[in-house]
Amino acid sequence: MKPTINHKQFKTPIESLVKRLIERKSNSNNSHTKLYSSLIMVALLAGCSATTTIDEYRPSDEPIELNAGENVVVLGRRDAGHYETDRDFINCVSNRMRGADIGVLPEQQFIDSIYPWFEPRTAPKGLPRLKRLMQDPLVKGQVEKQSVRYLVWLDGSTQTLDQGGSISCAIGPGGGGCFGFAQWDKLSVYEAIVWDMTNLQEMGRLRVDSEGTSYLIGAVAPIPLLTPVKSDACSSLGNQLKSFFTEQ
Amino acid sequence: MLKNYLSKTVLKRSLALILLAILSGCSSSASVRIDQEFPTVLAKPKAISATVVFDEAFATYIAQPNKKTVIDIGAGQVKLLSNAFAGLFEEVEFVSSLEESAGENSLVIIPSVREVQVSTPSENYLNVFEVWIKYSLEIQTADGETIDSWFMPAYGKTPDAFMASKSRAIEEASIIALRDAGAKLMLDFYRIPAIYGWMMEQKILEESE
Repeated sequence: MKPTINHKQFKTPIESLVKRLIERKSNSNNSHTKLYSSLIMVALLAGCSATTTIDEYRPSDEPIELNAGENVVVLGRRDAGHYETDRDFINCVSNRMRGADIGVLPEQQFIDSIYPWFEPRTAPKGLPRLKRLMQDPLVKGQVEKQSVRYLVWLDGSTQTLDQGGSISCAIGPGGGGCFGFAQWDKLSVYEAIVWDMTNLQEMGRLRVDSEGTSYLIGAVAPIPLLTPVKSDACSSLGNQLKSFFTEQ
Repeated sequence: MLKNYLSKTVLKRSLALILLAILSGCSSSASVRIDQEFPTVLAKPKAISATVVFDEAFATYIAQPNKKTVIDIGAGQVKLLSNAFAGLFEEVEFVSSLEESAGENSLVIIPSVREVQVSTPSENYLNVFEVWIKYSLEIQTADGETIDSWFMPAYGKTPDAFMASKSRAIEEASIIALRDAGAKLMLDFYRIPAIYGWMMEQKILEESE
């Protein structure tokens, strides 16, 4: 079977909104002022859109076989020294997959049931170690008892890359306020690897990169213009993982 | 007039309370107590009987790694290690002093805490809180002869989160460090050269294989 390698890049829907506004202007006689104010507003919001890239590799385009009653577990890698794949992100991806009628076991429930073999120190990092672990009848029995068919390993983090500007807030008897401007860039990089627990083989992998800039404008009241970088990474990864297990 | 005064007072107090709540999230000191339950280990114990001594100093151990941090891990570590030792040995007796033991078991293990260290994002320049617990396991035969004094370090970390309290982060990192101690014990106890040698001597390995 021919392996499938996909590369997708997309922005949040603001780009298409700008296109639609310009098209509408050319088809109607609305005043220029309305168009320009809309474009300025959109331009401001466009600064808050994240650019997300997804790379995927899997043996075939067919959905991965997942029978009724079989479950998937999404686990975070936590053995790196300088970062940790956070639990909120794992829950976010799990919830995205649950929405597609895929049985997803909670991460902590699975880790506790098989303690201590999926702790950061002991979790298998590759298939040879998983194969050895599954030779233990107690571990194999617990995996089968919970009908865990696939493990999805998530590894990555969200980091603030660059920040600039300054904002200061003050409060006094006559009132208070914030003045200034600050901006920061965030980058989310996550990799997902799917392991088949029955045939003990890798079923595919995904990588998502999401990047965007957020702003905080201090004009008496602080006005945040936040780019949902991590949330975009979660929804993109979750949707793509869903397509691994279901017909699109 | 009175109504206006009262509403202003209520508003001021509410604002003060909100400010206090926000500032408490930014507190730089942390005092945590770990006494939660830990999962039982998934392992087949070996045909060895052991006595584990959790003395009072160990069972009530309170670590103070720095002036601003206090971690009460006594109860938590007793629960965790009780589970782990039950997964290592077929028969295990837990006592609070060696005198309480009937002396019928082939191994005696006396755990103690050497040191607890913490590191916060302001110290390590990473977005993680870290906790190290360094244990020492005094392992003896039933006759009181020392087999080994095993150094067992455990490590836990938790990511820093916006507006999350330092106490909560250190509590989570401590729980992960305790779980890591259980994992380390299960993974490495029978790999200790002195224990391996003792088991060969007692012909325990041949029996269990």
